[in-house]
Amino acid sequence: MGADLEEAKDERLAALAAEGDRGAFEALVTRHRQAVYRLCWSATGNAADADDAAQETFVRVYRSLPSYDAARPFGPWLRKIAWNCGLTVRRDGKAGVPRIAEGDAPEAVDPAPGPEEAAAGNEERRRMEDALAALPAELRMVMVLRAVEGLSYAEIALAAGIPPGTVMSRLSRARTRLLETLGGGS
Amino acid sequence: MECRETQTLLSAFHDGELPAADRARVEDHLRGCPECAALLADLARVDRAAGVPDPGPAYWDRFNARVMDRVARGADGPGVRVLRPKGGWMREQLRYLVPAAVAAALVVVIVHYGRMRPGTPTPAIPPAVSAPAAPDSAGERMAKAEPESDGQGLPGAGAGGDATGSVAPARAKKGESAAPARHVPPPVPARKQIAAVTREERDRLADRSLPAGNGEASRDRAAAPAPVGTPTPPSTFRAAPAGSPPVTAADGMTQESPAERKKMERAAAPMAEPQVAGKTTSASGMGIAQEPSTGSPCELARTLAERERMRDAEAAQRACLAGDLDGPSREKGLVFLAELLDRQARFPEADAVIAEVEKQYPQSRPLDLYRRQRPMVQKEPTAVPVTR
Repeated sequence: MGADLEEAKDERLAALAAEGDRGAFEALVTRHRQAVYRLCWSATGNAADADDAAQETFVRVYRSLPSYDAARPFGPWLRKIAWNCGLTVRRDGKAGVPRIAEGDAPEAVDPAPGPEEAAAGNEERRRMEDALAALPAELRMVMVLRAVEGLSYAEIALAAGIPPGTVMSRLSRARTRLLETLGGGS
Repeated sequence: MECRETQTLLSAFHDGELPAADRARVEDHLRGCPECAALLADLARVDRAAGVPDPGPAYWDRFNARVMDRVARGADGPGVRVLRPKGGWMREQLRYLVPAAVAAALVVVIVHYGRMRPGTPTPAIPPAVSAPAAPDSAGERMAKAEPESDGQGLPGAGAGGDATGSVAPARAKKGESAAPARHVPPPVPARKQIAAVTREERDRLADRSLPAGNGEASRDRAAAPAPVGTPTPPSTFRAAPAGSPPVTAADGMTQESPAERKKMERAAAPMAEPQVAGKTTSASGMGIAQEPSTGSPCELARTLAERERMRDAEAAQRACLAGDLDGPSREKGLVFLAELLDRQARFPEADAVIAEVEKQYPQSRPLDLYRRQRPMVQKEPTAVPVTR
């Protein structure tokens, strides 16, 4: 069954999960957790909030499964929830409201460098991460969805709830600002 | 094309998202402008460098467990749980028909004894029944059958263990009602129990009863719960043997078999937790309050439904639907209302509600789920107790 779950389409897994198959739900979590985390990070700009939001995203997904229409693609639906969770966590943080999953004691996300840290291009990556974190959330989101997740403009528009033309202009602005940061340091 | 205009389009050009005409113009410009061509190369560099800091393998190792922990703590399942036959229709029907029929036969036998001994103050169970004189008694059969019905976690049968997988309380609860059944019940309450059986219930039960042997020998079980004052509702034949069809629900989830439940618990480990205080799980797996909620009518409806008070539940559900609900809640609420009507055998009214759901929510998933079970609900309408 495990192998079946791994190969099953998202929509099929979601239907199984809606019927109570937690194995199917966990397969969905495993498959999408990194993308969800990155999107939440793009909404919040920091690891602790991204963690809160990513956790909350999957809890909300689980609770919302009965209302999910398996005839529609799962990815955009998931991304929308993730983005909303990210914004909610960010708003809560700003308002001084205890963050979601307060009791969960967000992981001490390990910023320890990986083995590739020594690579020459890594410094540039680090500066880029800082620059991305410094972007306004709406620019960061389109940048992450495009450059990291590889979504099309139409898919980004769907996830962000904005017109494709806005996606294009935001991406252009985001890249320009990142390039300034990157260019200044190199 | 000017550099300025080109540069505004360069990002989309890089992404391959420009219309053909614009793309051709940008390409023309790039051929003659090294500065813009360099900028295009920089864009590619930005994209390569762009990345979200990865929290590392230790973080991902624990991520799933933390999610599943929170999901388990929610305990209500995806939305609200639903019962759906997983072992096929025949198995499902047998699972509740057999115990229901046995319980029905018990009541018939009790009534019979009551009539046979009009002068006796108590329809005390003859020793022949409570003693192990009937080796093939239905009581024993019921005892053998218990593990399965436990596993299915039906409402009155102490299904409380379902949501969190704590089967022990369910068994304990069963033990409460089963143990006294092997003794002579206290006289007066037993009398009351017989009196509480309405003519309608007797008729209905008689229709369902198994061959005489079963009912004859197993009357003790039916007589027991009410006399000893267990919290089992008067319509014991539905509540105890899971007379309620293991179907409900409008919203979502299959009641797991014991094996499946264990599997899920393992998946959710190590965060299995005790059941949320004050909550239990209804036949439909819905989280419900132990006592009728004084909160929203929506909660009250579910509580009442779990107690087989279908008319009251229907009224509460209508009040719930009259409130300010969001789309999905209203959709589920309407399907639940249809189910409540079905369980009162008011099928045309249920049909009308279902038609409304179809109209308002095309391709409604809750409705689709309910439809799969509806024939079973219609076959086994809930007894609406007259003595409420």
